[in-house]
Amino acid sequence: MIAQTVISTLLMGVVAYAASERRRSPVVAWLSIIAAAAGLYFTWMPDHATQAAIWAGVGRGVDLVLYIWVCISLIVLLNLHLKLRSQIELVTVMARTIALAEARRQLSEKAGPRRASGGNP
Amino acid sequence: MTANNAVRSQIAQPYERSPVGVWVVIAAYNEASVIGRIINEVKSRGYTVVVVDDGSSDRTAEVSAAAHALVRHPINLGQGAALQTGIDFALERGADVIVTFDADGQHRAADIEKLVQAIRAADVDFALGSRFLGCSDGMPVSRSVLLKAATLFTQLTTGLRISDTHNGLRAMTRRGARIVRLRQNRMAHASEMLSQIAASGLGYVEVPVTIEYSAYSLAKGQTIGDALMILLDLFARRLYR
Repeated sequence: MIAQTVISTLLMGVVAYAASERRRSPVVAWLSIIAAAAGLYFTWMPDHATQAAIWAGVGRGVDLVLYIWVCISLIVLLNLHLKLRSQIELVTVMARTIALAEARRQLSEKAGPRRASGGNP
Repeated sequence: MTANNAVRSQIAQPYERSPVGVWVVIAAYNEASVIGRIINEVKSRGYTVVVVDDGSSDRTAEVSAAAHALVRHPINLGQGAALQTGIDFALERGADVIVTFDADGQHRAADIEKLVQAIRAADVDFALGSRFLGCSDGMPVSRSVLLKAATLFTQLTTGLRISDTHNGLRAMTRRGARIVRLRQNRMAHASEMLSQIAASGLGYVEVPVTIEYSAYSLAKGQTIGDALMILLDLFARRLYR
């Protein structure tokens, strides 16, 4: 009962995290939710977990839950990778803004002496 | 012409707008040994050259001083990011036609005119260089197979009827350039651009061009490993907004 409660709490945490990520990466969020829901179900229905494990060729229900947990970990890892990519996109926008501002400044500096030599006040 | 207008046109000509409105964007990363020659070749044909130095650690920026404009990324971001920066810069400076041109010396400056003429003659927004319609000197068989596989992949995923993909020599009108929003910083930008062209519904035409492979350009080119990374990048980009 204690183990079931702990695992369920963790899986509920995964569901909450996935729900919060739903807008940004819907595919990853739904995969996490489905895997966590399966984990919750099998945690509280160990007989079904054993039947499903035998059907899947895993052997024991507890192993099936463990494998589901590994899948969830990999999906969360993928989500972190995607988050990193979106951060890189933000860095790109910032670097581009800096680069363009600097280029504009240099062009106006180049144009400055020309204006002066042209006799314009 | 008033004195002020005369001065304005004096300033504008070399920096803001070339006589024909064609801007050539060259993304460069550690290309100090070749970029000077490339800039001179393109400039000698009357085009406005903007070099985007993508955080090079060598003398690329110093050598590129001959360009009309130099935009420097503070850090290395990748060719896709550099091209987008160059396109943004050219657009804000009033370019009518923007040409992307590789910095490793495998493109011929003479082909730029073909692309520009094709855009005007066919009244389309994109002219895409094709080495398979034109000529590719010294292309290894493995590269040819890789590119043909990539072209087939692009045809299947975008629906575009093209004979070459990942050819860095292409031209676009101002309208075309506005729909290009490259978010793939690295090599996958070429496929991303083709997807955006397909999605926009704007017209395009393929133009035969010559690609001259050298030991230098081959060393900088893509491998099968890079091709896999491109596929992964394209896949990952579909997983988030």
